[in-house]
Amino acid sequence: MWIATGALVAFYLFIRVYEQIYGWRAGLDSFAPEFQTYWLTMLWTEIPLELVAGLGLTGYLWKTRTRDMSVLSTREELRRWVCLAQWLVVYGIAIYFGASFFTEQDATWHMTVIRDTDFTPSHIIEFYLSYPIYSILGVGSFFYAKTRLPYFSKGYSLAFLILTVGPFMIIPNVGLNEWGHTFWFMEELFVAPLHWGFVFFGWMTLAVFGVVAQILMNIKRLLGEDGVKAIID
Amino acid sequence: MTVTTLKARTTPYTGEKARLSRAYDYLILVLALFLFIGAFHLHVALTVGDWDFWIDWKDRQWWPLITPLMMITFPAAVQAVLWPNFRLPLGATLCISCLLIGTWIARFFAYHLWNFFPINEVLPATMLPSALVLDAVLMLTNSLTVTSIFGGMAFALLFYPSNWPIFAMFHVPVEYGGAQLTVADLFGFQYIRAGTPEYLRLIERGTLRTYGQYATPLSAFCSALLCTLMYPMWWWLGKAFATTKYVKNI
Repeated sequence: MWIATGALVAFYLFIRVYEQIYGWRAGLDSFAPEFQTYWLTMLWTEIPLELVAGLGLTGYLWKTRTRDMSVLSTREELRRWVCLAQWLVVYGIAIYFGASFFTEQDATWHMTVIRDTDFTPSHIIEFYLSYPIYSILGVGSFFYAKTRLPYFSKGYSLAFLILTVGPFMIIPNVGLNEWGHTFWFMEELFVAPLHWGFVFFGWMTLAVFGVVAQILMNIKRLLGEDGVKAIID
Repeated sequence: MTVTTLKARTTPYTGEKARLSRAYDYLILVLALFLFIGAFHLHVALTVGDWDFWIDWKDRQWWPLITPLMMITFPAAVQAVLWPNFRLPLGATLCISCLLIGTWIARFFAYHLWNFFPINEVLPATMLPSALVLDAVLMLTNSLTVTSIFGGMAFALLFYPSNWPIFAMFHVPVEYGGAQLTVADLFGFQYIRAGTPEYLRLIERGTLRTYGQYATPLSAFCSALLCTLMYPMWWWLGKAFATTKYVKNI
């Protein structure tokens, strides 16, 4: 968890510094060659990398799944439950950067350029970098639970599905967003109805309630009656 | 009560299981913090964003109507889980604090340091006093109905008064080019926004049916009524999201 958090924060710190420098130097005119060099290269690099990373991560988790859950010791299962919570914390931090920082950042970039492309520096970071990253981490945490924990291994937890698939759907919603901005009348109003699809999918993170409830139910079961009593007293 | 039971109550349990449960407290709190900053901030930015971003959108008609209405959503949902299940009376305050952290970081690092809008032009509104009252009403009454009606109303009615000390100074009139402006208007004119022409602002322009000086109280009370409806809706939404159901196929 600490490694993933550190890596994520360091990476986004780098991105923030990069856009500070190259947003103003190369990101103002999308028809200029330096826009190709500094921004579109980033776009064409990040998309395949994310696809490979997402498929690789899920493939790895599936390949190394626990095939026989009945041999799991209580201690090992408890360790895995903590590990799942750590996955979710990293997912939460990635959601913060995607949905909060880089999303509201886009609002101010809209007030800086009259944009001449759908792929502005802010969009290249917001839609095609920070959203896929949290989506990958969400799918990763779902697969971790599915392949490592007996409770999640059979069937699908509805809350967990909503928690990971809902925010994921924000990415396809970018399609509606860009279509509307391109072909429909749209001023740069941030609260425009066209943006409400993002909001709707953002609500899905509330399904964390159900997932945490499921985690706590299981922790309570694993701690046993005496353990729970000892903690409460 | 014997001496031994007294002692057992005063010494905290320090076994491995206690450490585990403490670790979980932190994990879930940090998870909640970041997840709600992300999701709630997204919700607010795209539903009340422009009013919250710009000083010259903070008017008497729309801003006090829409802000509480949209900001009571996540607090209600989080309260629906934290209070009945854990008796934690901080759902609303947690959400609103998350939101303020998220907006302040974005305003400072993106609006100010990246695109050089002065912080005074992009100050976020605060809902903290409202959230504290909402939490207190729920804690004291332990009633969804009472919190919907009185908590929801207080949430909206407290909005304008609690923001007044922050924003009043920008309502001082100035004479500029022979016209009368507020300092807030002047901010909007001076620090040029590529995408927000003046006509785009959804702010009070006056109607022939507006009597006296009642614009703000009218908006606040209208918002109060709507909040009493929004609150239970989002309470049930929060409850629904706390499902532990399983599905066989996807």
